[in-house]
Amino acid sequence: MNDLIIEAKGLYKTYRGAEKAAVDRIDLTVEKGSFFGLLGPNGAGKTTTLAMLTGLLEPDDGLLKVAGFDIRTSLDEVKRRIGLVPQEISLYPSLTAQENLAYFGMMQGLSGNALNGRIGDCLEFARLTELADKRVETFSGGMKRRLSLAIGIIHEPLILFLDEPTVGIDPASRLFIFENLKAMNANGTTIVYTSHYMEEVQTLCDTAAIMDSGRVIANGRMSALLSRQGKGMIRIRTAPDPTEAVRLDVESLPGAQSAIIKNDLLEIQTQEPEAAIEGVLRLLREKNVKLLSISHGAADLEGLFLSLTGTHLRD
Amino acid sequence: MHDAGNLTRLYASILKETRLIVRDREALVILFVMPLAFVLIMSLAMQDAFMEKSGVFTVAILDNDNGAVGQGVIAAFSSAGYMKTTVLKDAHDEADVKKEINSGRFKFGVIIPKGATTLAKGRVQRQLNFAKDGSGNGVYVRLISDPAMRVDHSNLVASSLARALAGVENRLLWEAVASLSGMEITPEREKEIREILDGNRPFEEVKAEDATGTRTASPMPTSVQQSVPAWSLFAMFFIVIPLSVTFIKERQLGGLTRLKTMPVPSSVVMAGKAIPYFIINQLQIALMLAVGFFIVPLLGGDALSIGNSPIAVGILTISASFAAIGFGLMTAMFCKTTEQSTTFGGTSIIVFAALGGIMVPKFLMPQFMQSISVISPLSWGLDGFLDVFVRGGGVSDILPEAVGLLSFGLVCLCVAAWRFSLKPR
Ligand SMILES: Nc1ncnc2c1ncn2[C@@H]1O[C@H](COP(=O)(O)OP(=O)(O)OP(=O)(O)O)[C@@H](O)[C@H]1O
Ligand SMILES: [Mg+2]
Repeated sequence: MNDLIIEAKGLYKTYRGAEKAAVDRIDLTVEKGSFFGLLGPNGAGKTTTLAMLTGLLEPDDGLLKVAGFDIRTSLDEVKRRIGLVPQEISLYPSLTAQENLAYFGMMQGLSGNALNGRIGDCLEFARLTELADKRVETFSGGMKRRLSLAIGIIHEPLILFLDEPTVGIDPASRLFIFENLKAMNANGTTIVYTSHYMEEVQTLCDTAAIMDSGRVIANGRMSALLSRQGKGMIRIRTAPDPTEAVRLDVESLPGAQSAIIKNDLLEIQTQEPEAAIEGVLRLLREKNVKLLSISHGAADLEGLFLSLTGTHLRD
Repeated sequence: MHDAGNLTRLYASILKETRLIVRDREALVILFVMPLAFVLIMSLAMQDAFMEKSGVFTVAILDNDNGAVGQGVIAAFSSAGYMKTTVLKDAHDEADVKKEINSGRFKFGVIIPKGATTLAKGRVQRQLNFAKDGSGNGVYVRLISDPAMRVDHSNLVASSLARALAGVENRLLWEAVASLSGMEITPEREKEIREILDGNRPFEEVKAEDATGTRTASPMPTSVQQSVPAWSLFAMFFIVIPLSVTFIKERQLGGLTRLKTMPVPSSVVMAGKAIPYFIINQLQIALMLAVGFFIVPLLGGDALSIGNSPIAVGILTISASFAAIGFGLMTAMFCKTTEQSTTFGGTSIIVFAALGGIMVPKFLMPQFMQSISVISPLSWGLDGFLDVFVRGGGVSDILPEAVGLLSFGLVCLCVAAWRFSLKPR
């Protein structure tokens, strides 16, 4: 196991005046060099968690170490090693791209040639070199997102936090951001990426935590998370409704790992979907049970979220 | 990672803030064009008003004589249209009269000494007896004036008093003459008589005295002397609006969120805001003074004269700027939206200005309004400037005003710093 670069235990936050905890005693670990996804529906507590990890918000309770420092006692040490790309595009509209980068670069402590070099790199990174001297207020949404991202990495942080960085941008810009993040991760930057798009997290991240209503409901390596679902899930509806006897028969079929009855649905986890489907169809015919519908979904985080919470990830 | 330090951060903050202001056209109009227009318009438009108003003088008369002299002066002053005469009943001495003037109730005081009529009659008698020695003093009727009065106005009242006394003198003379038999007057005799008369004048020459007793030249402000410092202060305090608006926008747009994740002390952020506005304040005052010196006279107004203590002017400017910046930062910390801060900032400054004698000069205000005006920091600033410009004051004269402004700024700044923290909450 690699070094842990973020360790949170029992992290807890209730906003003033709120009835429910926004983040409800969660445990999180992020390995150094990993591409970590924090996934969850709107209001799950992703931004609140990120705010605590980046020192914006003081946890009401819990332990939190970032980059090896306790955030309560060594906040400045933490700050020197992290970069945040906030959920909202946080730029000065009347300053140019170059001026925005220069300002935040200097506020991070850069100056002179180091600063100028980084500004050049970041403009390149955001593909805004040509537009360096144009005011940000004239930029498109995607251009602003790219610049916002570039500002987050101007000081080459050890850990980069991104809060839903692909909201409201075109597919080309989105792809471009993905490529860059992957390259940065390959160069050693630890990335913490929040999103409510499960495909994004699934394709980008090597580890992930799924949040819902302030709690972490699943977390671990992406492969492990996905294999909890096997190769996928087959759902069938029958007339009459599936019985316990049918369920046991289905579970013993070759290719089927497990079967559960949820309301009028029979859900079958499988590693070999083709064999399992054939077996189920044969069995139902033998038992004279009428098949009303059958569906199969490949293993994905959406499926995992659904099986954990019984609701869909998207609103 | 090498850290360039907080001086670099301060420089970056100042540079950023300066760019934000310079690119904000509305802010530039508010900070420079508006006050400039005000100064020009008011200096020229109010010129006559300043003259006219000072044409009605309030005069307090202390009549310790209760004889012909007192009656004569009171009658003469009461019939003059440009004076409003009040005979003091409760006052007893010079100190009482000066107190009345210093409180602002009266512009002038006339003190008619005890036994004036008896002494004057005696001197007239000596004239008629052709007493050649001409020794001893005549009756000294004193005229005390508000140090803020213009010299020409004091002179006007002084000559009125002299005329009134001449009238009394004539009456006393004719009364005495009436009791004498006829007398032949040759030219030589006439010359001799004139010398005798001059040596025995019943009244001493009237001279306006300053109520504070240290009078140099201390006229009322000219309209440009009032307008330049008044609208400069107004403009300086108006930085509250752009200062708070840029700050609130930064908070709303998330620039501050980014800063909070960076190793930046909040003092650097505050100083990065304060310094550019401090410089703007200095530019404003320089511009306004220049307008008073050069532009107003070109357009037919009086040229600005600023007394003889540029250091005092500098101290006042710095103090006022400190107060304005403190007030602006405090406004920024307490207002959530830019609408709130423009409404609150704009309204409070206009009220401060109206109370403080910026819009309506204080000497035109009734007494109770003048006493309310002490709650306005703009009023302290304006008093300070007028002390220097008009009353020839120096550093020690403006210290109370400067200390007041600095304290006001300091209190605001402390409240703002208490509210503003980059620490996690
Ligand atoms: N400043 C705040 N004051 C009070 N409650 C808040 C505040 N910010 C967030 N909340 C509440 O805390 C909970 C978690 O919000 P959070 O913003 O962390 O969710 P999120 O997962 O980032 O959602 P989204 O995908 O919409 O960004 C929500 O119920 C939200 O309403
Ligand atoms: Mg969020």
